[in-house]
Amino acid sequence: MMGTARSRAAGAVVATALGVLMGFGATLSAYAQEKTEITFSYLWGGAEAKALEEIIAEFNASQDKIVVKGVSSPDTTKQLASMSSSNGAFDVSDHFGSAVGSWASKGILAPLDDLGLDTADFVPAALSQVSYDGKLYSLPIAVHDYQLLYNKKLLADAGVEPPKTMDELAAAIKALTKVDGDGNITQLGLGSAYMPTTMVVLGYAFGGEWNGGGKPTPADPNNIKGINYYVDNVVKPYGASAVNKFIAGFGPYMSPQDPFVQGKMAMVIDGEWRSASLGAAEGFEWGAVQIPAATPELADTTLVEVSTLFIPTNSKHKAEAGEFLKYMGSPAVMAKFTRALGNLPARTSLLGDKVYADLPNYDAWLNALKSPNAKSFSSAPYSAEYSADLGSAFEAIAQGSQTAEDAMKGVADRSGSYAQ
Amino acid sequence: MPSKERASSRSRPEPGRGRALLKGLAFASPFLIGFAIFFAYPIAASGFYSFTDFSLFQPPKFVGLSNYARMINDAKFWKSLYNTLFLTVTGVPISLILALAGAHILNFNVKGQPLYRALVYLPTIIPVVAGGFLWRWLLNGQYGFVNEILRWLHIPQPNWLQEPAWGSMAVLIVSLWTVGGTMIIYLAALKDVPSDLYEAAQLDGAGPWRRFRDITWPMISPVTLFQVVVLIIAYLQIFTQPFVLAKDPAVGTSQAAGPGDSMLTYSVYLFQNAFVFLKMGYASAMAWLLLVITLVVTLLILWSSKKWVHYGSR
Repeated sequence: MMGTARSRAAGAVVATALGVLMGFGATLSAYAQEKTEITFSYLWGGAEAKALEEIIAEFNASQDKIVVKGVSSPDTTKQLASMSSSNGAFDVSDHFGSAVGSWASKGILAPLDDLGLDTADFVPAALSQVSYDGKLYSLPIAVHDYQLLYNKKLLADAGVEPPKTMDELAAAIKALTKVDGDGNITQLGLGSAYMPTTMVVLGYAFGGEWNGGGKPTPADPNNIKGINYYVDNVVKPYGASAVNKFIAGFGPYMSPQDPFVQGKMAMVIDGEWRSASLGAAEGFEWGAVQIPAATPELADTTLVEVSTLFIPTNSKHKAEAGEFLKYMGSPAVMAKFTRALGNLPARTSLLGDKVYADLPNYDAWLNALKSPNAKSFSSAPYSAEYSADLGSAFEAIAQGSQTAEDAMKGVADRSGSYAQ
Repeated sequence: MPSKERASSRSRPEPGRGRALLKGLAFASPFLIGFAIFFAYPIAASGFYSFTDFSLFQPPKFVGLSNYARMINDAKFWKSLYNTLFLTVTGVPISLILALAGAHILNFNVKGQPLYRALVYLPTIIPVVAGGFLWRWLLNGQYGFVNEILRWLHIPQPNWLQEPAWGSMAVLIVSLWTVGGTMIIYLAALKDVPSDLYEAAQLDGAGPWRRFRDITWPMISPVTLFQVVVLIIAYLQIFTQPFVLAKDPAVGTSQAAGPGDSMLTYSVYLFQNAFVFLKMGYASAMAWLLLVITLVVTLLILWSSKKWVHYGSR
């Protein structure tokens, strides 16, 4: 009798468990039928990824047809490899506008013209960078440009005013670079957040062109003037070895050990996202001014870059991904996203919006965006290789192992094989 | 008649032989299928792609030998080949000398020897990427532990990861860190040398150098041949160490090839062409050339081994 009762009880438990599981399964199935899940694999991480996840959660809550799953994957090689298979690993991702030409020409990106975006409201330079062969291949979500940042305390201690001309900048670099009795540098007048960007911006500031006539023009004499300005003022007076040794001790960029925040660099050429990250650095006093130019006509020269969102050709849910892109590109969401990251919005209607008012020194970058001397790299099919070659050449110049003339000639020679 | 019978039996298949072959193939099929899918097909495909302009995303376009011809005028290709050959030419002999010397020390009959052997082998089981990141800090020009020791010894401290002249040396050091694997193989070989040979030599008045030259070295020469071939292949393909060391955002630049391209090894440049510049055709041609170089070097070593490798037991 006891055995029968036990069997019945066990049977009841199993039946109940099965019922619950089946019910749960049915609910899941219904949920899956109702909503299409798309994956948004993004390169951002840390605080920026957190801001993005909040926006994704708001999108998911705003409608009942699409569920976006956000994945932080800051690996561009993995991103590219994922797009080469027939089954896409993600439906939406992000990159920079300079990659659009290369990727669109190879059929990696799905065209976005059918999304019906109100392109008239987008910053023209951003829009042209994400277009290829007359078609729109990415959504510009944020725009970036560069300014000269300075540490207020270090400049005040040295009695130096923020420089307005190249001569003043040279004098400031000299006054703000400190060397101890053993010849070791203890403070750099002008540092680099990212060497290639600094060199490219200086090339522009001397009237150079890196893509003259749609082709790589690294050996433009004015580019060489800009590079040599860096070499003559930052590297040569102290020796490449001493500069590199000092740089080797720098902590990670945008971390609490960031060399600019730590006072190891008095000035640095950097982008508008620092308005958010440096704004959060407690007690750190800093300013941002125009990058000095070689002549008055070149005033307010800067490099413009674009952060983009795109749909890969191998996405299985292009329509749903398109819906999400439209949401991300809408004025309110773009404002929220770019405010969180301290970026400039890609919509002209948002430029100067009060949502950005509390970002310190933000106006310096905002004004530069309107400058006629705001220039950008063309998004040509060869951009990745050109950037890599320029990076190597700038490195060799900064190391003192090659002159600017020889290094840029080397890049120009190599650029002949980019067309493959 | 007997010869005729033998001839006819040779021409007739043995009963059940075909079946046995099928069974054998069936048992070997997991390997055969895996080999065909993951090795044979990609190797053959890369051979085909090496004659094409192929970006991974579009159909390949036949370009004949132009990928191979392009290498002749590609300065970065020559730089990467030079860096790789430099690492091979220096790394292989240094590895062998360190491993052989270390194996002798690990062969001493002293207390705690198993622990020392385990410690020497330890870096080999640490993932190369993790080891690379660790070494980036150890070799830091400003705060690195290596330079701290050099400072203490009053030896000039190089800026390992920032100066072109020291970039290759940094890669070499990180590669030599895992020499414990080679050392343990040598230790096993040393233990296989019969001790009576040493006793006899000692009785004949042979000193330590003579015993090493005339007994140890010939007796372990087959193992040395194995080590030389394996090390050469490893150095010719070296990728992870330079790739990790070169990618250092903390130093302000994130060159994937190190200062002055000093860490641009053949495999790193091949990777860049394939997955950064999307020139899979050119990368495939580079891969095939590397295969040919490796094959030629290996064959040369095998050919030369007749003169210096001894297989006789005693």
